[in-house]
Formats: sequence, C-alpha cells, structure tokens
Amino acid sequence: MVPQMIIEARDVGVELGGGPVLRGVDLRAGRGDIVAVVGENGAGKSTLLRCLAGLQPGVSGKVGVFDRPPVDEPAFWRDVALVGDEPAWYPGLTVREHLELMPAVHAAARMEVGTALETFGLAGRGDMAPLSLSTGQRQRLSLAMALIRPSRLLLLDEPERGLDPAFRSRLAACLTEYAAEGGTVVMATHDLRLVEVTRARSVTLEAA
Amino acid sequence: MKTWSDRYSAVVGAAVAVALLVPASSAVVTSLAQQVDPSRMGAGIALVALAFAGYLALARAFGPVATSAADAAWLLLSPLPRRGVLRRTVGILLAISLLGGLALAVGLLSALGVRDQLTLRLLTAVVLGVSATIGGMAMAVLAQASQAWDSWLLGTIIFVMALAVLAAVLGSGLWRPLPAAVAGVPASVGSAIAVVSAIAAAVLARRAWAALERVPAHRVLAASTRTGQVATATVLLDPSALTWIAEDEHWRGRGLRSRPWPPRLHGPLVLAWPDWRRLARRPGRSALLLASATLPALAARAGGGLTTFALVLIAAGTLAAAAACTTAARRDGDDPSLARLSGVGTRPALAARTLLPALAGGGWLGVALAGLVAAGALSEGPWWLFGPAAAPALAAGALRMARRRPIDHSMPIIPILGGAVPMGPVVWALTGADVAALGCAPVLMALSTQPPALGPYLVAQALAGTGVAAVFLLRRRVR
Repeated sequence: MVPQMIIEARDVGVELGGGPVLRGVDLRAGRGDIVAVVGENGAGKSTLLRCLAGLQPGVSGKVGVFDRPPVDEPAFWRDVALVGDEPAWYPGLTVREHLELMPAVHAAARMEVGTALETFGLAGRGDMAPLSLSTGQRQRLSLAMALIRPSRLLLLDEPERGLDPAFRSRLAACLTEYAAEGGTVVMATHDLRLVEVTRARSVTLEAA
Repeated sequence: MKTWSDRYSAVVGAAVAVALLVPASSAVVTSLAQQVDPSRMGAGIALVALAFAGYLALARAFGPVATSAADAAWLLLSPLPRRGVLRRTVGILLAISLLGGLALAVGLLSALGVRDQLTLRLLTAVVLGVSATIGGMAMAVLAQASQAWDSWLLGTIIFVMALAVLAAVLGSGLWRPLPAAVAGVPASVGSAIAVVSAIAAAVLARRAWAALERVPAHRVLAASTRTGQVATATVLLDPSALTWIAEDEHWRGRGLRSRPWPPRLHGPLVLAWPDWRRLARRPGRSALLLASATLPALAARAGGGLTTFALVLIAAGTLAAAAACTTAARRDGDDPSLARLSGVGTRPALAARTLLPALAGGGWLGVALAGLVAAGALSEGPWWLFGPAAAPALAAGALRMARRRPIDHSMPIIPILGGAVPMGPVVWALTGADVAALGCAPVLMALSTQPPALGPYLVAQALAGTGVAAVFLLRRRVR
C-alpha cells in the first residue's frame, strides 16, 4: 500500500564545525503536496534538502521518507529526483541525448522527449552540447531531466536559479501538474512568486 | 623591481643548474659517439618525428601566445603596444623552443649515430633541432593570428606524422639503405642544410614577431584562460583536472547530431553507452590511439630489443587506452548527480561500463604485442592472445583509476635517501595501476622472461585477469 505521508521530519538538527546549522525543524509532506522551504541565506534550506535526500551526515532528530530513513542508494533514487547544483554533464552527449537517457534508463517517462524540449524551451538546442548552453538553459535542462523521469518525490534546491521570469511561470505549471499526478515537491527557494503561483505550503527557516 | 636578493638567488640557481647539467650533458654527448645499426635507424627517426609532431600539436593546442590572467584582463585590452605586453611570453616561448630543439638534436643523433667529426655533427644537429622548434613555434604564433597559417601548421603536423609512419614502415624494409645514406651524409652537406634551415627559421620568427601586433585579443585571451587553468591544475597537483579542461574544451560549441539510444539497451547498459558514443564521435582520437599501439615496436626496433623504455610504453599505453574509455565513470565519480537521477547502483553501472575499456585496453595490448613480434623483439608465438586475456584486469584498473579521489595532500611525507616522497601523489598515481598490475602479473612475467612455451602463462593471465575483475566488481564497497 502506498503511504499517504511521504516525508515526516521531526526535530531535525545539524551541526557543522561546532555550530548549529539546523535546529528543531519539523516538516511533513503528503502525496500531491508542494512545500516551499524559505528563509534568508544561511538559514539551512539546502542542508534540510540534503537531510531529506540522505546526503547529510551527522543529522539529529528523525527523518523519514517513504516511512524509512533516506539513504543514498539506487532504490531510494528510483523514487526521488534531486536537482541541486548544476551536474557535470557526460562529455560528447547532446541536450536531447541527455534527456533521452532518463526514459531509457528508467524504462518509462512522464512525457515525450520532444515535448520536454518544447516545454523547457530547449527545442532549438537539442543538438548542442550542454556546455554550449547559457546558465539558465542548463538549469532548464537539469529540471527537464528530473521531470521527464518517473518519480514520487522531487527535491529542488533553488530551482529558479538563472531562469527568466517567463520560464518561472512555466516551471510553476510543471510543478503543479507533477503534484496533481500525485507527486510530492519540496523546494528550497527565494522566489516568493513561485511559491504563490504553485500554491505551495511555506516552511520558513530561521538562521540557527 | 628586482632586489639584490632576487639577483643573488637567480645567479646561485643558474650556477647549481650548470653544475648539475654539465656532467649529465657530457655523458650524453659521449654516448652519442657511436655507430647505429642501419636496421634501427628508421624506427629512431620515426620516434624523433613523432616527438616533433607532438611538440607542434601542443603549441597549436595551447595558443601558444598566452599571458597571465592579470595581464590578459588589464593590459591586453589596453592601448599599450601588444609586443611590449607579450615580451615575457615571447621569452618563455623561445626558452621552450631552445630546450625542445636540444632534445630533438640529441634524439636525432641517437637515432642516426655519429661515425666521425662529433663536434661538427653535434653542432649541425643542434642548429637543425633548434631551427625546427623555433620555426615550428613561429608557425604556431602565425597560426594564432591567421587562419591560413593555421592550415599550414596543420598540414605540417600531418606531413611530419606521415614522415614518421614512412620512416617506421620503410626504414626496415627494402628502403633500409635510405636512413643509412642520411646518416652517411658528409658533415659539410649537413652543415649547409642546417644553415638553410636556420635562415628559414629566422624568417619565420621575424614574421611571427611582426604578427604579434595582429593576433586578435580574443584568441590570446582564450589561450590565456586555457594556460591559466592548466597552471592552476598543476599548482594544485590535480592532474585529472587537465583532462577535463581538454575534454570540455573539445565539446564546447561543437555542432553535434543527436542519435536515438539503441532500443534494446535498458538499465545499467544505458549508462555505459555514452562512452561508446563519445568514442564514435572522436574518430581521429580513436585512430590515433590505435596507431599509438605501434610505438612499443618502434621503440624496441630503435633500441635494438625489448628495452625498459619499450616495456614502459607497453604498460603506460595499455592502461591509457583503457582509461580513455572510462569518461562517464569518471564524471559520475567526480559528481554523482546524474548517476542519482538515473537510479542505477554503482556496481551494476561499473559492470556495464567494463566492456569498452576491456576492448580498448585488451585490443591495444594485443596489437602492441603483435607489433613487437613483427619487429623481432619477441619470439614467435601467439603473444597477441595476452591482450584479450588481460582485458578484464585492465578494465578493472581503468575503472578504479576513473573513480579515485583527488590527491590527499594531508598524507605523510616519507623521508628517503636523497629526498622526501609525499605519499598523497604516490597513492593517487598508484590507484588503478595497482589493480591492473596485479591482474596483468602473468603477462609482465612473460615479457621479462620470454619463455619458450606461452600456454601456461596465457592460462594464468586469463585466470588472473578474470579473478581481479571479479573481485573488483563484487567486493562490498566499490571504489
């Protein structure tokens, strides 16, 4: 049976270099939820996302994703897609081939590759190497790769980074559609307009 | 402004360098005064020509006119005379050309031998070598300023490489007397040729000096960025960064044509495919890799047998061929973001990525060993079979090398006789080579002992290769 509660984090704390980065954070998210983690620089938004992705060592409190602690293992990543810093692209592959990689490896896709190229404004860039794209276009490609593959949880660290205002609206529509299909989105963001348009539930972090 | 302390340091440094170099140089010059077997001359000339082609290719790839990041940012775009800004760069390029020319001269004399008039022939070779390197560097500078000269430089590189192939192929057959005739040319004729080449080099250098004012700023800036990245990678002792600089530089801005993924590939095999596609998209590099498998045979012929140099070439070339096909594993090792998006485990992904480096490494070794048999450096026998037998171990070594962490500079420095060895770079350099050497122990033993019957060694190699690869892939924590 698919659990309704996707993320359940209680009293999460992280210390780095002897100082607290996160302290006593609670976060719950169910199927179809969009949660926006907001807060000033250094509040621990990215650290919280790393905790939810099982990538942060030394976490206190309880973090549960799909009713179990998150771990950096293939079974976990088959359900979870993470978009953080720009990934290192495979040399010699085009934009389209990077996108095609996802349906090929997962044997399923949420949308056609051509549709994804159109949706993410990369239609005329399919035959280019990712390194030839602008920063914003590479961010679009990262988001497209995460959204073209099937997943149940989407973790986004500042997805609006480098994107123009017009595309941010399109991204909001993509995330809303993903949640409507039953997916859960947790994003760390500074874009309050994106929070508003996606009707995300805000969780505000204060610097610990 | 230079202080007296700076000048003192420079003078003492130069004196120490001279004191160290003079005995070594005299030993090298003494060793040149011998005749060389005509059958070895062609291979020697081929190696020298290949070294010169490599020198020209490097000069073309790195600029060669580049300056420091600060000068590039502030002085290059100012109204200051360009030649004044680049004066220091020109000095460095001249020094590189001089050193390269001396090395080329020594290589040429080692290949052809000296039967009489050592001093005159040495002088001739030095003038020839330095003229070639200064002329080549001048062409590279001109190529930076003009597309036409770039075509000429590319043509020269191809011509020199063709010359190397001809010397290697014809030097051992019916044309064997040709290199011997070159070696037997009277010293006066050689001197005349050297004078002509020196004049040609001077003309080219003069034109290059004039062209410095016309080199487009963006080209010097691009070369400065490349050189700066290389310098940073060198200072930080992170050699792997150098290959990423070259790789990213190759693909950035390059027009490609997307092709669909093979429909039958699923799961981990999909992650192995990028390396196959990358190899197919760099046919020139693949051809060069394959052609380089003849280098051990050339070295063996030039050295008159299976020398240590030839053995080192076999080991380094085999591992380099396998490692050249593990780029995707290196990417995922450096940054696992894409691997996480794919949701495939490290072990299945590595297993799927074994095939290509195994084919490349095993194939390279097989061709190199067949070449050594053809060159007469190894006894008759199915030596090439060691290639497929060692392939799994080579793939395991290359993949381990691809996933090694950056150099750990916090590791201790071990004092040894005559110096100290930092363990961080040593451990980094040995990671990957250790597994490959362990898995290739039988072929290494066979090469050092050259047994009459290869059968037991081949069986041992097949078992060792498969065993090492299996342990590498099946152990609890893959790294």
